[in-house]
Amino acid sequence: MKSKFIAIAGGLLAATALAGATAKADVKIGLIGGVSGPIAAMAPSMISAAQLAFQQVNEQGGILDGEKLVGVVGDSACNPQGGTDAATKAVNIEGVSAIVGPHCSGAVLAAAGSVTIPAGITVVTPSGTSPEITGLDDKDTVFRTVPSDDYQGRALARTLKEKGYNKVAVAYINNDYGTGLADAFKAEFEAQSGEIAGFAAHEDGKASYRSNLAELASGGADTLVIFDYGDGTGLTILRQALENGFFEKFVGGDGMKSDAPINELGAENLATFVASSPVGEKSDSLDVFNEAYKAAGGDPDAIFVTTSYDAAFMLALAVEKAGGDKAGVSAALREISNGEGEAILPGEWEKAKKLIAAGTAIDYKGAAGDHNFDAAGDVPGTYALFEVGADGFEVMVEMK
Amino acid sequence: MGFLELINFYVIPGVVLGSIYALGAVGITLVFAILRYAHLAHGDLATLGAFLALAVVTALGLPPLVALPVAMIGTAAVAVGIDKAFYEHLRERPKIVTVMASLGIALMVRSVVQVVWGVDSESYVRGIVRPENYFGLRIKDREIYTVVFMIGLVGVLQLFLVKSKWGKAMRAMSDNPNLALLSGIDNKKVVMLTWIIAGGLCAAAGVFLGINTELKSMMGWHMLLPMFAAAILGGVGRVEGAVLGGLIVGIAEELSVLVLPSEYKAAMAFVILLFMLLVRPTGLLRGKVL
Repeated sequence: MKSKFIAIAGGLLAATALAGATAKADVKIGLIGGVSGPIAAMAPSMISAAQLAFQQVNEQGGILDGEKLVGVVGDSACNPQGGTDAATKAVNIEGVSAIVGPHCSGAVLAAAGSVTIPAGITVVTPSGTSPEITGLDDKDTVFRTVPSDDYQGRALARTLKEKGYNKVAVAYINNDYGTGLADAFKAEFEAQSGEIAGFAAHEDGKASYRSNLAELASGGADTLVIFDYGDGTGLTILRQALENGFFEKFVGGDGMKSDAPINELGAENLATFVASSPVGEKSDSLDVFNEAYKAAGGDPDAIFVTTSYDAAFMLALAVEKAGGDKAGVSAALREISNGEGEAILPGEWEKAKKLIAAGTAIDYKGAAGDHNFDAAGDVPGTYALFEVGADGFEVMVEMK
Repeated sequence: MGFLELINFYVIPGVVLGSIYALGAVGITLVFAILRYAHLAHGDLATLGAFLALAVVTALGLPPLVALPVAMIGTAAVAVGIDKAFYEHLRERPKIVTVMASLGIALMVRSVVQVVWGVDSESYVRGIVRPENYFGLRIKDREIYTVVFMIGLVGVLQLFLVKSKWGKAMRAMSDNPNLALLSGIDNKKVVMLTWIIAGGLCAAAGVFLGINTELKSMMGWHMLLPMFAAAILGGVGRVEGAVLGGLIVGIAEELSVLVLPSEYKAAMAFVILLFMLLVRPTGLLRGKVL
């Protein structure tokens, strides 16, 4: 028995030693995502899109002096505790130069506040959409390639009003994402003289939400707006609302635009379900990315893949520009995408590297947008409302 | 709000939820009574049971209720294995060591589930089921199964404890382990039996939670607190108390929405737990251990 343990321990040691040897002299960028938890179904494609950017960098001569760029994956579990743990490990143990992520707003706020801002590490979240992130006192180290939910909530409210939804009930998850989105939606919907007939937060992970739904339905609305995650509680709520006939129509935010509701509930039951989500504006950059991501075996229509790719590629550019100096990454990030200089499209690493070496200004045009950050590190965005068709989500209307 | 609405949307979900909590709480209470420690891996064992049933459902195309016995046997075997591999070595140490070890086991079991089945939400049967109407009561078939199976399983367990030789041995060991040992009861076998029963009930709780909602790798962990609240509410060591406690916690959680903002629903189990520990730590049915 004892010798077996020693053999296993020895094997593990050897394995870590091997991993350590190859990782030497690599430049690391953290990829902190909600690998487990309520957005688990979205995370793999987001991480693979970011890895694609690193792969392109490595294929085209590597970063700095030909060093390899490595994405270090960490699991934020989509909650503040997990985000802090993963960021601590990435910053203190892996020694990353910058971080793509975390994926969820609560994790971003916690990880930034307690780990990355004190350490001066730049983070770019591809999917942390809470309006709270805008106001973070971040010494200019927290950016995002996804627009704030303040825009999404308002655009969704206006679009719904135009589509003839006049009286709705809102169920939102009690975290930074749900609260931020729900408040923005409520303000605009009421400003457009719509009626909110029920407005309630709920906790994650309970088995039954029927009493919550009954309470929301008692206001007399026929439409339920759900700001939650389609792989988590949002699915449970949608299922129980459908099964018990509490509401006729359902509207989701970007978190609900997941394949889980279609897979688990069936498209035939979701005829009255629509979800909003940020979309990339049609551009050459988007086409270039779509080609490359398809060739790498990914689905370019999956949610947040463009923003993840852009975040990863821009951080690679910034690290290159800063010459590997971690403290200089955030300033470099602003320089490589401020609307001035030679345009760089997704995947054009070799060209960008030469221009940076020559001291020429460059301007990254991303797949999800131009990413000219405002003072708070935010970007504006475009949204579309999706409905469930025969092959998954289909664009119904652009949202303004 | 009408009476029927109260029953349909608050009480019935509460009873179903309570039945699931009860199945888990009975296991917790048994482990507490016989082995004298709080077993924190209980929720994740329930997750494992639910996913074992999923494996049977997807591999053989059987309905989840048929897969239930397989999952119960599988989880019972795992529970016995965990006891042999980890807890047995800690038997003579202070109990808190085993409690902490069970927290570690919880993380390990959950990780195994995540590695094998992934972290996405799954369900046994695709699509939705609308409830039947029984004289104005809206009940789904699966909700009836859940409550009936819970009562059946607990009934059989109660009979076993009262009538059979080994059941009596378990109760004897719960009353006084040293005396039981002196009168010739094989403690090791009793411990093993306890884990078989606790593991099987865990799996049943997990499978019924999966049938009524979805399967997620965190599903059992989220149930742990209500299950402990149920066990303590009913009186630790009392099987019928755990059932009563489970039902009360379940119904209280659902009814709380009527008076509290809904984001505080999850805190209901905490409140009940605190209140009972303050006012009547022995539980409603006067538990034997605490």
